[in-house]
Amino acid sequence: MSTHILIVFICAAVGAFAGYTVMRTYKRNFVYLDGVCKIVDELKRNISYRRDSVATVLQNTKTDSSLLNKHIEKYIEFAHGKTDGPEIDKMFLPEETYRKSSEFFGSIGKADGNSQTDQLKMFGDAFVKMRGEAETKYLKFGAVAVKLGFLFGLGIGVLTL
Amino acid sequence: MEELYRLISDNCASVIRSRLSTDKLCEVRIYNGAPIRVCYDGTYYFLCKTGLTKDASSAFTAGPREAEETVMRACEHSLYTVTDTIKRGYIAVKGGIRVGVCGVGVMTGAALVAVKDFTSVNIRLPHEVKGCADAAVAKLLSRGLGNTLVISPPGAGKTTFIRDLCRNLSQRNHNVLLCDEKHEIASVSNGIPMLDVGPCTDVISGTDKQKAFEIGIANMRPDVIIADELFSADIPGVRRAATCGIAVIATVHAKNRSELRSKPDFKEVTEQGLFKNYIEISDAPYRSVSFYESADL
Repeated sequence: MSTHILIVFICAAVGAFAGYTVMRTYKRNFVYLDGVCKIVDELKRNISYRRDSVATVLQNTKTDSSLLNKHIEKYIEFAHGKTDGPEIDKMFLPEETYRKSSEFFGSIGKADGNSQTDQLKMFGDAFVKMRGEAETKYLKFGAVAVKLGFLFGLGIGVLTL
Repeated sequence: MEELYRLISDNCASVIRSRLSTDKLCEVRIYNGAPIRVCYDGTYYFLCKTGLTKDASSAFTAGPREAEETVMRACEHSLYTVTDTIKRGYIAVKGGIRVGVCGVGVMTGAALVAVKDFTSVNIRLPHEVKGCADAAVAKLLSRGLGNTLVISPPGAGKTTFIRDLCRNLSQRNHNVLLCDEKHEIASVSNGIPMLDVGPCTDVISGTDKQKAFEIGIANMRPDVIIADELFSADIPGVRRAATCGIAVIATVHAKNRSELRSKPDFKEVTEQGLFKNYIEISDAPYRSVSFYESADL
């Protein structure tokens, strides 16, 4: 009997963990996009007064996303001439986030003041929209994924008995 | 010099590092698809893997878009930070390095709105020669500070000379206002001059001389105003300073006094005696400094 309970418990735990992983991916995507939005805002603020280089602004901006911090480090290395391009890792990012983020890091700094402001506004609008969707996904489906994972695991456990 | 190495290709940087003395290196000229030239101790050479050569065929050749790549490196891949100065033909880089830029102008009516398709760049390196203006300062002070024009051909060391002059006067407790339009005299970075311009020097950077004169005279109570590369448009500012009892020391591009007199913009100025003293610096490599009074002109 105790073996059966253990199997059911393990299946439920594995299912819950799988659900938690899904929720964590949603959360990390949201935190990443939230960081990018902060960067875009900071660049917009900076360009209207100080006009520091992108690398300087990024150096002074801290985000909660470790992946975004890595992307920032890569960009700074590129800006300081240590690498040939600001290539970024995809990791857990959904295709759309990765594509837009690559476009952002690849094109930032290549225009004059007015064009750069327009471009930042465009990126800002896109990232805010994506952040909203990511937040909804995280809050709405994250908790559901954990519950579903747990129930699914539990079901599998019961069925295997 | 690390800033210079950041701007140029690795092979050029390693040759300069290992085979040349940066004290003698004045310019690195990069033309798309052509051999890379340097001005070393007043003479032009091509840069090659053994150091310097007069033979273009053995020189390092720049890539077809090397000028643009250098521009992007100079502005740390943030073109919007230098759009205004590029329109005036240069980019100011940390450490007093100035990158002269040539390319295709984008015009809207009569206004230059941007520069694209960069064709060549000239990386000019600053040099600090402390003491090079000591004798001139002693002479100026013995006669009472007055408006002074430093005449010299390009590349002879005008900027180095007035930087030392600025440092020297500042160390003697004169309130010096330095108009560093192109960031190459003081090279201010994060509010701190990277090159020694003395302890009593107020630095206005990145602003045209007319505006800097106006701001400085109104707010900083200078004894002396120092500015580089005077043009006819700046003369009213000098006159205004003179009426306020402020001495202006500025440089001007000319081979010698007679060439200065032949310039229409400066003919009237010299005749009216706006400048009390003239300092002439001869061409490199001799760079001898001669001192003249208005009457000698």
